[in-house]
Amino acid sequence: MQNHDVLIVGGGLAGLMAALSCSERTDVAVLSKIYPTRSHSGAAQGGFNSALSEDDSVESHIFDTVKGSDYLGDQDAVEVLCSEGPGTILELERMGVPWSRNSDGRVAQRSLGGAGFPRACFAADLSGHVVLHTLFEQALRRGVKIYPEWHLIQLLVEEGELVGVLAYDLRHAQLEVIRTKVVILATGGYGRVYAKTTNAHANTGDGMAIAYRAGVVLSDMEFVQFHPTTLYGTNILISEAARGEGGYLRNVNGERFMGDYAPQKMELAPRDVVSRSIFREIKEGRGFNGQYVHLDLTHLEKELIEERLPQVRDLALCYAGVDLVTTPIPIEPAQHYSMGGVRVDTWGVTSLPGLLAAGEVANVSVHGANRLGGNSLLETVVFGHRAGKKADALVQERGWPAISATMIARAKAEWQNLCSGDSAAEGSVYSIRREMNELMTAFVGVFRVGEELTQAVDRLKELQELYTRLKPSFRVQAYNYAVMEYLETGYLLELGEIITKGALRRTESRGAHFRLDYPQRDDVDWLCHTFVSKGKDGPQFSAGPVSITRYPPKERGY
Amino acid sequence: MKVVLNICRFDPEVDKESYFQKFDVEVEGHQTVLDALLCAREQDSSLSFRRSCRSAICGSCAIWLDFRPVLACHTLIKDVAIAPGSITVEPLPHFRQLKDLVVDLEPLFESLKAIVPWVVTRRDHNGLMAPEKARVMESASTCILCGICDAVMETGGVVKPAAAVKGIRLAVDPRDAVGEARRRLLDLPPELLALFIKRLPPICPKSIRLPDIS
Repeated sequence: MQNHDVLIVGGGLAGLMAALSCSERTDVAVLSKIYPTRSHSGAAQGGFNSALSEDDSVESHIFDTVKGSDYLGDQDAVEVLCSEGPGTILELERMGVPWSRNSDGRVAQRSLGGAGFPRACFAADLSGHVVLHTLFEQALRRGVKIYPEWHLIQLLVEEGELVGVLAYDLRHAQLEVIRTKVVILATGGYGRVYAKTTNAHANTGDGMAIAYRAGVVLSDMEFVQFHPTTLYGTNILISEAARGEGGYLRNVNGERFMGDYAPQKMELAPRDVVSRSIFREIKEGRGFNGQYVHLDLTHLEKELIEERLPQVRDLALCYAGVDLVTTPIPIEPAQHYSMGGVRVDTWGVTSLPGLLAAGEVANVSVHGANRLGGNSLLETVVFGHRAGKKADALVQERGWPAISATMIARAKAEWQNLCSGDSAAEGSVYSIRREMNELMTAFVGVFRVGEELTQAVDRLKELQELYTRLKPSFRVQAYNYAVMEYLETGYLLELGEIITKGALRRTESRGAHFRLDYPQRDDVDWLCHTFVSKGKDGPQFSAGPVSITRYPPKERGY
Repeated sequence: MKVVLNICRFDPEVDKESYFQKFDVEVEGHQTVLDALLCAREQDSSLSFRRSCRSAICGSCAIWLDFRPVLACHTLIKDVAIAPGSITVEPLPHFRQLKDLVVDLEPLFESLKAIVPWVVTRRDHNGLMAPEKARVMESASTCILCGICDAVMETGGVVKPAAAVKGIRLAVDPRDAVGEARRRLLDLPPELLALFIKRLPPICPKSIRLPDIS
């Protein structure tokens, strides 16, 4: 059995930042299902918001974020996010992040959606990638112990406290127990619940589902961000930076239709507004082939595109066969980010003693009902840092937990049971997953309605039953992705159920959650978070208060 | 279109040596080799290969396809197979094959240590950097550690290609206190360095163009 003071699950931006923020005396290790530099943080393109300029203000950033959240963001947490932004960016700069620069030598900043000022610090359109690799370099420098290609299987809880984790070493096909005083979950989102998602194959919500199964409270799961501009078909992300640098959205008539929906902000309205607008255009017959709209960058200087959007250009060329310098690209919205997640305070503390969470897996909530572009990258490093610091403090307070032999035996027996079924039904895992994906995209997407949500709840339940009856048998072998995919399907089904039931329960429209049957925002009944925890008969929902310190809810127009 | 994938299989627990298994898959021309591999996995879930982002940024899916190293997710079927097509997929060469297309990447990450792979920030660094200086680092900073250069190239010195890319990226970072010594850490005479810089772009999935620091 391994022992570490702090075990961080997930080696992306939040996880690595947390590792680096622990003191040198803390024995911290990072467990990651993929090599850390493979983390999906690296696919983020646009930038890290920060009120660095003298002409900008933390106050303005706070307001934009609160309004962007459709007033569901916890304003005390938003204050932390925005006020710690500048310091964090400068710290990243000192670590060696190769930011793009202005002529005055300062970190270059661009406009992203819903922002009153260009405040997204960027490195061409590889912002997540360069910071991820810089943090990885620093982790090498610190000698942070990494367990690559180890999958989290279970949080071990004894008498209501976290005592360690059960993990699966993919390479050696071995189940391992790691005893630890503090676990920081930094496992990212659950995009692969949906058929159409920008997310990587690895984003199967493992940490969120496993925490939920351990009794941890999740929050705001019904709030799913659909990014407006993904490549039609593959749903590969085309950064908001493309619009930030001046790109236009056009319908089949060549019109910049955002003028009808957000006359002031146009293409740079918040993502929920833009995604709904795109779908409306398509639904009302002004899309191309009834399927997509155009993102038009042809009026931009070629040099600007080469300097600021090189990756976006390559992606459009390779995956859409289009050179965006001369031709508009086909675009459709797709799932991109999870506003919901493990409920935490501003130090990453969850409802389970010993468990912290940071990054996309967590719900603080800084994004409320809708996240602004550039705020998630910021969230990873600000709250990753804070979780690291909190972990340090907890390590001092907590003694070494005891993991009973019975607990280990039980966990191992469960695993054995899981892997030694009598049917070779693995093939059905794929069909169950595919049907779940299509169902979620069709019925729990940008526009939702009661009857479809109810249908989805029912069908998801049937799929879950099919899943539990599968009982596949798995051979013990290295790199057994089959058993991992089987487990991941289970996580996705569980999270899909929570998201859908949450969406059904919330009878209003707010931010990214839009109900055709309840199209208005309802601050009387629904100015609250949706807390959920696992009950005997499924997810148990309750309401949680929103922290409103500065900005009482107002009408949200762009 | 129908494509036949000849995929190299190897399970060290049961196989004395690797062998090829044929998979018949149905994919569109505009889809990728990764899409084809995913179809193959649905037919035989014991097939192991790494993948994540599917958009050529994570570096997981480097393979040897027919006669060259590529990212499976960045290679379109129509560019490598004519219907009815057949392609051969093997693990990256010069790395130990662990299972099917999965190779041992520990040497790749270990090799980075030889060049002190982090910025040692100068005490007097004031947070600013001229944009021209920032631009010099840009291409090298796009490296995704996919391992392809290590699999098919030598630098001619002890330092391996991916480590050389990072070493050069750090050598041109004006914030770095190691300074001139970075050039020495690369342990490459100017002619070999120049040759490496020239040979890299066609092999590298990111077509990295390194600044000449000789």
